[in-house]
Amino acid sequence: MSFQATPMKISDLADNTGEWLRGTGAESDIVISSRIRLARNVARFPFLSRANVKQKRELEEMVSNKIKEAEITSDLRYINLADIDSVDRLFLVERHLISREHAGGEGERGVAFGKSETISLMVNEEDHLRIQVIRSGFELKEAWKKIDEVDNKLEKRLNYAYSSRFGYLTACPTNVGTGMRASVMMHLPALGMTHHIEKVFNAVMKLGLVVRGLYGEGTQVSGDLYQISNQFTLGKSEIEILEIIEGVIPRITSYERMARKALISESREQLEDRIWRSYGMLKVARIISSEEIMHLLSQVRMGVNLGIINDIEMKTLNELFILTLPGHLQKLEGRELTSQQRNVIRAAYVRKRLEMT
Amino acid sequence: MKCESCSKKHATVHLTEIVGTVKKERHLCEDCAQGINKQLAKIPSPTEILTSLINQVAPEISEMSKIVCPVCGLSYLEFRSHGRLGCPMDYTIFRKGLIPLLEKMHGSTQHVGKVPSRAGKDLIKKNELMQLRNELNKAVEKEDYEKAAELRDRIYELSGDTNED
Repeated sequence: MSFQATPMKISDLADNTGEWLRGTGAESDIVISSRIRLARNVARFPFLSRANVKQKRELEEMVSNKIKEAEITSDLRYINLADIDSVDRLFLVERHLISREHAGGEGERGVAFGKSETISLMVNEEDHLRIQVIRSGFELKEAWKKIDEVDNKLEKRLNYAYSSRFGYLTACPTNVGTGMRASVMMHLPALGMTHHIEKVFNAVMKLGLVVRGLYGEGTQVSGDLYQISNQFTLGKSEIEILEIIEGVIPRITSYERMARKALISESREQLEDRIWRSYGMLKVARIISSEEIMHLLSQVRMGVNLGIINDIEMKTLNELFILTLPGHLQKLEGRELTSQQRNVIRAAYVRKRLEMT
Repeated sequence: MKCESCSKKHATVHLTEIVGTVKKERHLCEDCAQGINKQLAKIPSPTEILTSLINQVAPEISEMSKIVCPVCGLSYLEFRSHGRLGCPMDYTIFRKGLIPLLEKMHGSTQHVGKVPSRAGKDLIKKNELMQLRNELNKAVEKEDYEKAAELRDRIYELSGDTNED
């Protein structure tokens, strides 16, 4: 088995959202997606920061070939990131197929992913290999089952750097042990509005978990989307770590639901006004920045979940969410755009999309 | 010109000293100049000042600072300033410095998760035992003695045939 014979065209992906944004799965009104990644390195090679050009090339070739041989999915494609331009790389970041660091890195590096975009394998990111599985909704255990299976296939072919004391050895000691980062992306607008979100942060931190922005570590919170993930990777098994996260998510979702209910009973008119204004703005605005659209879509998403807005599907909102990101807009237009140009095209795209509903 | 320090030998070394905004020229013979050099050497260099500061904040660093990984060439100090290790061997070479760091980061220094099948059945068993012991501790903490007894039996069963424990 080899990779898809036809060359990968990134534009093929540009008109859909990827399966993890289907808006299905458990608790999908609040939990957008569940994601797990495993960091792995090949024994007897330096980590990437100390690897020379030759070693990087050797690693890239070996790891990508082993991925190919492992028959992970039948439609897996591999892209060498050095072969594509920065807009394409941004596009892959927006789809959560690669990290920002991977996009901005240099030298021989690449990514393999299937058509559904639920599995991606980054080669030569911070570690030699990073495997990722994303699922729509609150489906951590499902994601674990899948990623464990992929990892088992690969470990038969790759001699992972591993020690019985420290587990899977990683370039950064914050990932050593399981090498696993599990994160759940949640939409928490009501907790934000009622200023209860800080309490969630504190409670979560006490469990050794952290809250991150939309694109992971060091990124800003935008559109009321938060990623809850584990901080520690050593001293607990993968399942134990997942159970800690799984234990806290239902408490946050019910807290968010309570906050929404409170908003409805205490200030229904204001809440409805806010939601309808956001919806109206999307339908009529001529210039929308990427930050503004995240905010507007967040309000409308809550409106749909609360049954206040009935004439738009969650699927459409998810499409608008991803297809109006800077990389996607440029891909759809087929050219590089300045931020001002994007804001105009974004507004036009949204208006057109909402007229169809 | 005679040396301005001993006034005996010929001055062959000419120094320009700047103290604040005042520029001062000195003309010395070789012997006297060397004496001054020694004095200057006593003033701690910025690196020395930094090292003594580091000693106060993170004592393990000074002990580890001279260690360089023979495999990848990374020094412990480089690791501490960038936070990234250079190769898998660093976990062994820098072990002494890493253990307190890992303890701080993860609250533990012992892996109990997945074991690659290549690592062998023994290791898998060892890890399984470790996990069971963890669970046993938890069960005891929660006073769930039924579960604790069950776990204890499984531990005996597993460790019995490996002669471990």
